Amino acid sequence: MKKQNQKNWSLIFGIVLVSIVCVFAFVGLFWTPYEPTAMSILKNKPPSFAHPFGTDNLGRDILSRVMDGASTTFLISVITVTIGLVAGTVVGAFTGYYGGIIDELLMRLNDTLTSFPSILLALVFVSVIGTGKYNIILALGVIFIPSFARVVRSEYIVQKELDYVRNAKLLGAGDLRIMFVHILPNTKPILLSSLTIGFNNAILAEAGMSYLSLGVQPPDASLGEMLSNAQTYLLNAPWFALAPGLMIVFTVLGFSLISENLK
Amino acid sequence: MDKKNSGNHRLLLELDHVSVGFPIGKREISVVTREVSFQVCEGEALGIVGESGSGKSVSMLAALGLLGNGGHVVSGNIRFYPEKEQCLVLNQFTEKQLCEIRGDDISMIFQEPMTSLNPVMTIGQQVEEMLVLHGNCPKEERRSKVLSMLSEAGLPDTEAMYGKYPHELSGGMRQRVMIAMAMICRPKLLIADEPTTALDVTIQAKILKLLKKFQKQYGTTIILISHDLGVIRNVCSRAVVMCAGEVVEQGNVETLFENPEKEYTKRLLAAALGKGGILRRENAPQENIIVKARDYSVYYEEREEQLFRQDETVKQEEEAEKVENQKSELEQTIEPKEIQNNLSKKAEIQKENRQESESELEQPIEPKEIQNNLSKKAESQKENRQESESELKQPTAQRKNQRYKIEMLKRRFRQFLSGKTKRRIVNKVSFDVYAGEIVGIVGESGCGKSTLAKAVAGLNPLTEGELYLDCKQPQMVFQDPYGSLNPSKTIGWLLTEPLRLKHCGTKEEQRKAVEQMLEKVGLGKEYYHRYPNTLSGGQRQRVAIAMAIMLKQKLIVLDEPVSALDVTVQEQILILLVELQKEFGLSYLFISHDMNVIHRICDRVFVMYQGEIVEKGNTDAVFENPQHEYTKKLLSARL
Repeated sequence: MKKQNQKNWSLIFGIVLVSIVCVFAFVGLFWTPYEPTAMSILKNKPPSFAHPFGTDNLGRDILSRVMDGASTTFLISVITVTIGLVAGTVVGAFTGYYGGIIDELLMRLNDTLTSFPSILLALVFVSVIGTGKYNIILALGVIFIPSFARVVRSEYIVQKELDYVRNAKLLGAGDLRIMFVHILPNTKPILLSSLTIGFNNAILAEAGMSYLSLGVQPPDASLGEMLSNAQTYLLNAPWFALAPGLMIVFTVLGFSLISENLK
Repeated sequence: MDKKNSGNHRLLLELDHVSVGFPIGKREISVVTREVSFQVCEGEALGIVGESGSGKSVSMLAALGLLGNGGHVVSGNIRFYPEKEQCLVLNQFTEKQLCEIRGDDISMIFQEPMTSLNPVMTIGQQVEEMLVLHGNCPKEERRSKVLSMLSEAGLPDTEAMYGKYPHELSGGMRQRVMIAMAMICRPKLLIADEPTTALDVTIQAKILKLLKKFQKQYGTTIILISHDLGVIRNVCSRAVVMCAGEVVEQGNVETLFENPEKEYTKRLLAAALGKGGILRRENAPQENIIVKARDYSVYYEEREEQLFRQDETVKQEEEAEKVENQKSELEQTIEPKEIQNNLSKKAEIQKENRQESESELEQPIEPKEIQNNLSKKAESQKENRQESESELKQPTAQRKNQRYKIEMLKRRFRQFLSGKTKRRIVNKVSFDVYAGEIVGIVGESGCGKSTLAKAVAGLNPLTEGELYLDCKQPQMVFQDPYGSLNPSKTIGWLLTEPLRLKHCGTKEEQRKAVEQMLEKVGLGKEYYHRYPNTLSGGQRQRVAIAMAIMLKQKLIVLDEPVSALDVTVQEQILILLVELQKEFGLSYLFISHDMNVIHRICDRVFVMYQGEIVEKGNTDAVFENPQHEYTKKLLSARL
């Protein structure tokens, strides 16, 4: 009984956290209090009524930049995860369902990808195809494929041995139909939780990349890029790091809580 | 309450109006057993019978405080009398106090010998653990005590057994280990919760014999929980019948089984003892052949180690039998003369039996009588073969009768990855199935009957030999109705799927056809939008059957379709199957390990043993006059 209640509360807490961030990001798509890239003379000012989160080293309004940055970060994460999810599911479905040589080839390729630290791999990608928002999306998307593929594959290996799959075969369903109509819905619970975890990782990865100034290029804002800039002024303008940092914490914590309680 | 046949009449355990409840939500409690009362006297064997969900296990788990999920005794008392004038009220005990009683005074064995042993501890360690926890047995003596207990439980080569892990043993051996664990502290009461349900019939009989032996030898009281009335009748002197959390009837096994008073008991008895009447028709037509197999072998790809292990377990089982027989010979010297005589006779009979079965295996040494028997059999087999050859010689005549003929000729197979070996599961079987007939395949687990069924349905490509089917795509009903329906689809979707795949009719027509089919299998239209997990096992099996006949294929392979169901539900499903067979003119290949079910429903029966069909014939003929040793063994194990 107690457990049930706790579960509900943490779920609600997670949803509240995520929706706060979402509101910021969504509004940031259409309207920000100031122009995010507009500089002014008020540099490194602490939070005030005019600038609730203060201003940065170039006098830009941090609230505006956080709103703009959050939406950029979200956009990157969503597309990244979608690429990983779709491609990973297809790869996982084929390898898990057929097994044999396809499985060996693709999974060894998968192993090769995962054996590098993901940030290193992204660095290589970016240094080859160049920096920028869309290149980052592509690089991170490819890096996210293996983890989804692995999860989906293991699920398919279990499911394909079940009698309902045999039954579908007997009814005359083709392999593709069995894979994506019969089995796929049964991987929903595991896909949902890996989706939320993947989304978290994508946000962190984007922040990491931008922090290494390989991601979103100035003057565009993203949460990671802002953190990276803020680092220099951590002692004299701590609010600079606080706003984007909190954004990331809210999102990651919120999604973790939600995914944990959805299980 | 009558207490005849009940040991020395001293009360041992008493359930006094016990209700057990599990909490749901915040304050509600769902009561699963209501006012259950019965008593067990010292030295007697009490059976608790009931279908799944009747609360038979729960009431015993409550006695041991093993309920879990917050379950507890809501009202009533469970009293245990370990000594004279000592009364323990178990439901008021703390966990610590219960720990002292569990395993020491009361012990329990469970249904699944696979999961009730710890996979990372050796057999010896696990049995010894009981002594560590309970006995005041000094360290040095423990090992020898464990070894002697293992051999008492009928395990061969105890020294080696001590260091083995559970996965190295067969199901029957594991159950013996469980019994050894349960008995090593010489408990006063042994609770056996479906101890033989997961085992083959012939092994089942041996395990029950072992339980009876312990009961006699140590005066252990046994409470045997089972859904199988045969098992109860074999072991117990008294029985309690439970239904929906209540005691329906209790009394002496003989009186209870011969003159049941309550309607429920009667129904249960009728269903369980195969007295529900024979469902098949008198004369099945034998005109058109729908399945014809000649020298048909089926293989499985397997890792090498596994292959080795299976052989090993068979060997173990045989050894166990030998050990037990030797035991009974040894016991003669200790027991009084009368029993001795009795026993020696039994031992002789057993010896003879064994000799017979051995001779069966080694043809050259066999005695004349059996030889005659066998040669007759061989002749009849020859005749059969000749017949079938003549059939093969006139293929043109038959083609006219057969609408479709799928030929699966000597499929070549390759070995993809090293380390995998093909194991021949079904070994050159030849048989015919006629259209409109129900043919049973009976045998123990591992004999290849399921493998054969799947191969006939086309689910196993590793085959050799010939198989002709006069049916485009045979459909199949699987044993486990929880695995054979896709849990993420509605019943309606599932039943429409075959039509969708074959592009039959418009959406409206499809829906209508599905609704009709739902009515046919005894569900209603209202099930269209429900998900499989909201249905009971029997209802799911109905859906599975509906799915199989949706495409109107003439051949349906039924792989243990009622084994996972309660007896009364079994009855309904069997009736449904026979009705549908008549209505649609279907042919069934009915796989089962249950001789009663086979007897009731099948026109003809094939007996399979170690991958071969050792006997086939009309059901009545096989049941009344079995020819092969193995068939006799199966029939005698029927209890």
